[in-house]
Amino acid sequence: MTETSTITVRGVARRYGATAAVQDAGLDLRAGRITCLLGPSGSGKSTLLRLIAGLEPVDAGEIRAGDQVLSAPGRTVPPEARDVGLVFQDYALFPHLSVGDNVGFGLRGLPAAERKARVLKALTDVRLNDRAKSWPHSLSGGEQQRVALARTLVREPHTVLLDEPFSGLDAHLKSEVREGLLETLKAAGAAVLLVTHDAGEALMMADDLVLMDGGRVIQSGDPQECWARPASTAAARLLGEVNRLPAHVAGGVARTPLGQVPAPGLPDGPAALLIRPQYLRPGGEGLETTIETTRFGGHFSEVGARLGDDRVHLHVPGASARPGDVVRIRADLSKATVVPD
Amino acid sequence: MRLIGVLAALVAVLPLIGVVAAALSGATADIAATDLTRYALTSVALAGIVAAVTGVLGSIAAWLVVMHRFPGRGAFEWALALPFAMPAFAVAYAYADLFDVAGELNSWLRAAAGVALPFQMRSLWGAGFILGFAFFPYVYLAMRAAFTNLPVHALEAARSLGASPRRAFLSVALPMARPALAAGVALAVMETLADYGAVQFLSVQTLTTGVVRAWFVYGSLASAAQFALPLLGAAALLLWIERAGRRRRAYGSPGAKWRPLPVTALTGSKAWLAFAYCLLLLTLGLLLPAGWLAWSSIDVQPDWPRLISAARNTVTLGVGGAVVTVALATALALAARSLPLTARVASIGYATPGAVMAIGLLLPAAWIWSVVPGGSANVVAGLALLLYAYAARLMAAALEPVDAGLSRVTPSMIHAARGLGASEGAAAWRVQLPIAAPALFTAAIVVLVDVLKELPATLILRPFNFDTLAVIADNYARDERLANAGWPSLILVALALPPVIWLSRKAAHARPGSE
Repeated sequence: MTETSTITVRGVARRYGATAAVQDAGLDLRAGRITCLLGPSGSGKSTLLRLIAGLEPVDAGEIRAGDQVLSAPGRTVPPEARDVGLVFQDYALFPHLSVGDNVGFGLRGLPAAERKARVLKALTDVRLNDRAKSWPHSLSGGEQQRVALARTLVREPHTVLLDEPFSGLDAHLKSEVREGLLETLKAAGAAVLLVTHDAGEALMMADDLVLMDGGRVIQSGDPQECWARPASTAAARLLGEVNRLPAHVAGGVARTPLGQVPAPGLPDGPAALLIRPQYLRPGGEGLETTIETTRFGGHFSEVGARLGDDRVHLHVPGASARPGDVVRIRADLSKATVVPD
Repeated sequence: MRLIGVLAALVAVLPLIGVVAAALSGATADIAATDLTRYALTSVALAGIVAAVTGVLGSIAAWLVVMHRFPGRGAFEWALALPFAMPAFAVAYAYADLFDVAGELNSWLRAAAGVALPFQMRSLWGAGFILGFAFFPYVYLAMRAAFTNLPVHALEAARSLGASPRRAFLSVALPMARPALAAGVALAVMETLADYGAVQFLSVQTLTTGVVRAWFVYGSLASAAQFALPLLGAAALLLWIERAGRRRRAYGSPGAKWRPLPVTALTGSKAWLAFAYCLLLLTLGLLLPAGWLAWSSIDVQPDWPRLISAARNTVTLGVGGAVVTVALATALALAARSLPLTARVASIGYATPGAVMAIGLLLPAAWIWSVVPGGSANVVAGLALLLYAYAARLMAAALEPVDAGLSRVTPSMIHAARGLGASEGAAAWRVQLPIAAPALFTAAIVVLVDVLKELPATLILRPFNFDTLAVIADNYARDERLANAGWPSLILVALALPPVIWLSRKAAHARPGSE
């Protein structure tokens, strides 16, 4: 990674009474890269975003921008002095200001002519240059989001934080809005942190992925790597359906119902094998399974099958499988991971 | 921001502490315990009568107006709140005169039919009737809002489960509106306990008349404070009832889209009965007393210079009180977003009768008068004290609309403003206040109307020779110069009517789901 980090988060914690919303969380945001923060609701991802924005103080740890400490226990640079832009789930447009005035809100102190020019440019960047005089409530959801984005980017922050940016949009709008958003963000060149609970969205948009659960960062890195090599069952499940089978490690090798899998570095004893349904395929001289349930899903069927004492899910092409059928399956064990139990 | 909020809350609480301190300070021998009990029992009885009268009158009116269509419904919808413009003491003057044993109505009846009215207004029941008609709009407005906001889904579910429209109303709509009924009645009872002008004139001895008399007749602050203590307790209780009712009202139907209620069109005699009922309420609450006052004052040459000067004073105090109170309430509401307790503390002032508030301020007032030049004749210090009393008493009344206005600003809007470089204060100034501006105006109008009609606190705290319309009316009425008391009362009604009409029409046209 050659880009320098705009924001560094190290060992950050935040408690609400007895509940630890975030504990020992760390991540790096880099200029020109989109980092997706994925987690189920209540995982602490929104709290972490609020901590980075300076909307809440940290109880432990440190948030820095380059050499400057933004947050540390007992010290919080206020949000307005952080040069960090925020786009809210509900866009938070000011209803009493026109679109143009919304975008110009953060440009106080500039000469009027320059402010006007920058507002116009920001609106042009999101293809809304003809709506400067409109009122926010007269815009569609997608347009409102673009205004919120323009309002943030016009200040040229080094970092932009987006909280669930697509949750307020109709399903058929999402992909179109997503493409527009990606393009605009890339053009701005800022570091981007995007919080979401939608795994597909995170995998599609992220340059870097951060997975959170129970207030902790449970894995971070390249999206493909996270998907294929989950660090734990929880991390695997965040990104999609996964089969979890019992394993027993002895001498760096795990014995599993699907066969032997290398497990370097794991201590001897019980463990778990994780493998996605896509890597279990019917055919050949594989293991014998009995189909129990089938769900037709378009170009494949989701099949639940019994393998010895365990149950596995796999994807079978078409709709040929019937409950009660005995099918042999082959596992692509190079795509399997052994994690501690 | 928090500091200002805490200060604003202190403004409301300080006089209450003053009351307790004064009550504890004095010897108890000034008033007999039996007197205190007698006054308290009268207050309780009066409160009970008013609660029953306002509860029934207001609920039926709201039910008719919201759920039915009949001639005049559109006008009655807002006009039924207009008795608010009529100060209770003015209603009392009119009815006491109209029903007087030697009055024109009784004389005429005796001459025409040889009978006299069996009803005497200068009695507990008379006071209950008068205050009931003066205060029923509190229940009417609360119930109108409750019925209007009824989740239609619940009514439709009741129908689909086999309930007739009547049963759906009785078993679903009415129970759902019960918290609103409790809240509306609690407000009417608060005003009853706080009333001084009407009960004083009708010679009904309530705790509030006791407070004022102890101060003016016996000059005993401690006695006045002792009369005030049970009122404070009652105020806290009523406030709790009112707040609990409001909280329950908030549940409504989460997420369900608002749709207009099914309205029953009344025809024939039923329609005219509904029309007659609403007209009767409006007549007895406003038209008849105002008309009678006008009729009996018409022959009297008003003391114009005195009235004009008093009207100017009244308006000045009203506007000044509105500005000060709304400013403090806004500071309180902004701070309450992070310190919710401050707002709850401050709202105790709302339930506190003005006379009690004034008594509580007399201790600090004595201190202020001892340090300002001119002492108690210092008009500026006196007016400041009066504005303070209004603010302490009405801050919670202003807080409600202000809070509703500020709640239109979502937390994310404030955070967005912060993220865009605005400090906490700048975010309040550039985002919260502009969005809440219409609500601030509404709050100011609410306070204005209340200050215009205020009597007991003004009576106790006003600078020497500083008269308001209410004070003049009270002076004339004490001297039994009722025809003279009519003029200041009517001018007061004329001043209060436009803001009341504006408020009522605004509330009538406010619908959930519409801006």
